[in-house]
Amino acid sequence: MRSLRGLHYSSVARISRCFVARWQGNVIRYISISINCLSGSRRFTDKHEWISVNENIGTVGISHHAQKSLGEIDFAQLPDVGAVLEKEVTCGALESVKAASEIFCPVSGKVIDKNASVEQTPRLINSSCYDKGWLFKVELTKPDELNRLMTESEYETFIKSGVYK
Amino acid sequence: MAQAMAQNMFRISQVSLNNVVRCNAYAFAPATSQAKAYSSASTTDKEKSKNPIQKSVFISQSTDIFTNLALEDWMYRNFNFNNHHVLLMWRNSPCVVIGRHQNPWVETNTTNVAHQGMEIARRNSGGGTVYHDRGNLNLTFFTKREEYNRRNNLEIVSRALFREWGIESVITPREDIVVKNTYKQQISGTAAKLGRPNAYHHCTLLVDVNKVALRQSLHKDDKGIVTNATQSVASPIMNLCEINQHVKVERMLGAVGWEYLRTCPETLEDGGQDLINKQRGFQLINPTDNWFPGLNKLKEELSSWDWRFGKTPKFQVNKSFRVPKEFLGEGEMGVQELKVSLEVNKGIIDDVTLKLPPGLLSTNGFHGEVDVVTSLRGQPFSERAVVSLENALHDMSTKEGNLQGKSQFVMNCMRQVMQSV
Repeated sequence: MRSLRGLHYSSVARISRCFVARWQGNVIRYISISINCLSGSRRFTDKHEWISVNENIGTVGISHHAQKSLGEIDFAQLPDVGAVLEKEVTCGALESVKAASEIFCPVSGKVIDKNASVEQTPRLINSSCYDKGWLFKVELTKPDELNRLMTESEYETFIKSGVYK
Repeated sequence: MAQAMAQNMFRISQVSLNNVVRCNAYAFAPATSQAKAYSSASTTDKEKSKNPIQKSVFISQSTDIFTNLALEDWMYRNFNFNNHHVLLMWRNSPCVVIGRHQNPWVETNTTNVAHQGMEIARRNSGGGTVYHDRGNLNLTFFTKREEYNRRNNLEIVSRALFREWGIESVITPREDIVVKNTYKQQISGTAAKLGRPNAYHHCTLLVDVNKVALRQSLHKDDKGIVTNATQSVASPIMNLCEINQHVKVERMLGAVGWEYLRTCPETLEDGGQDLINKQRGFQLINPTDNWFPGLNKLKEELSSWDWRFGKTPKFQVNKSFRVPKEFLGEGEMGVQELKVSLEVNKGIIDDVTLKLPPGLLSTNGFHGEVDVVTSLRGQPFSERAVVSLENALHDMSTKEGNLQGKSQFVMNCMRQVMQSV
């Protein structure tokens, strides 16, 4: 199928394992959802944020490594909707164990949504940092910036190097 | 460039400070097992081969909370802590300092604090609300993010207390310092800020704080505030001077400063005088815009209403007032309540709802749930909003003459809601 082109084998295997549908239309719909969930489409920064882009809208969160090192998060201060952010600029903070850790925006863009569930229940970031614990969504103004971010495997190597905490 | 200027231009009187520090700062504590662990060791080969992180101790000459917070922020944003760690020591005139994500109306009575002539400041780090005065010493440990370790910092403070005065202390799991055998009374509270590339951990040290003023300013009533802001954890506290009358803030500066300089940053090994000689020593800091370009702007932001109150996470205030019988209609029985609900976002009143009980109904005027939105919406959550409400209710009551008593009652209830916080 056209939507499967360009994906590597393990991704295809994952799709075929997870999704069963009778009609072609349903299969394409399930696959397009699964593409967004595939960890291969996520990009990472050296400050341990991730971004996953779909039609120029990036969803931003923090990595598993980050949530683990922060500990239980007690408060999430997220950027306001409408805020215009530059890449690598501070845009919010997460508080855990009396420490306020800054959130840096991975790319330049305008904030179009923030996760009210996380504001209400910050521990969602700890329990589901790649899914329900997303932080905010940004409309990219410079999509090329994505190319300078790490892929998941590059990020895994970066973590293992132990250079940055 | 700004950072280079700051580093080069204020080496003021290191020698004079050395003279202030007493000789017994170097003396070893009595030979208990704890003291032996602290005893000075000659510089080892391992020490020499390490990447030499040098340390400085900066002492701020200002006692203004906003200036000192601005200085701390300036250093966090601009200073280069590559192989250079800094301990900043500072004291403030009486004030209340809330954590970054806290609600000042929950943590303290803002009206009372203002009447006592104290400022309320919001710091950039997390944690709870504290009272500062000149009997409290603040310590900020600056490092690169990768070298941030607050337990190590507290260990240094604990050693200083022992070396100087023989005071034994422990660091609790919440990273507070508690003196042994004192029923878990804290003498220190901790908070931190983590960014890239820098981070800092700061803590308070209660040397000789005015405990009456502390209790009064941090007194929390149930104000009916519903919020997800971080809440303070109230703990019993004590002053170090209650344990040992010779503990004074001036001596504490030297004790902690020298202990910081003699301790190896990674291993916590005591490097003694040899290690001290390799450090950059003490510097007195004059926090002005000349020495720290951009400091005034930071100070303005930190002292602005928008930061101190406007940064409060959104909250709701819910209060109920029993309606006096004389305002209830004839034949109305039982207890009836007026319910006031305010929605406050960024310190501004977003919405006000008054729920009047059936007994307060009239043929004209109030009807059930009354929206006083137009007069209060957009007002900062403060006494100013009450004045605005007074005017609105006064207008209403002059139109409906027989409502004066009732509107006065409602107005008093609103005023109580505002003043109670």
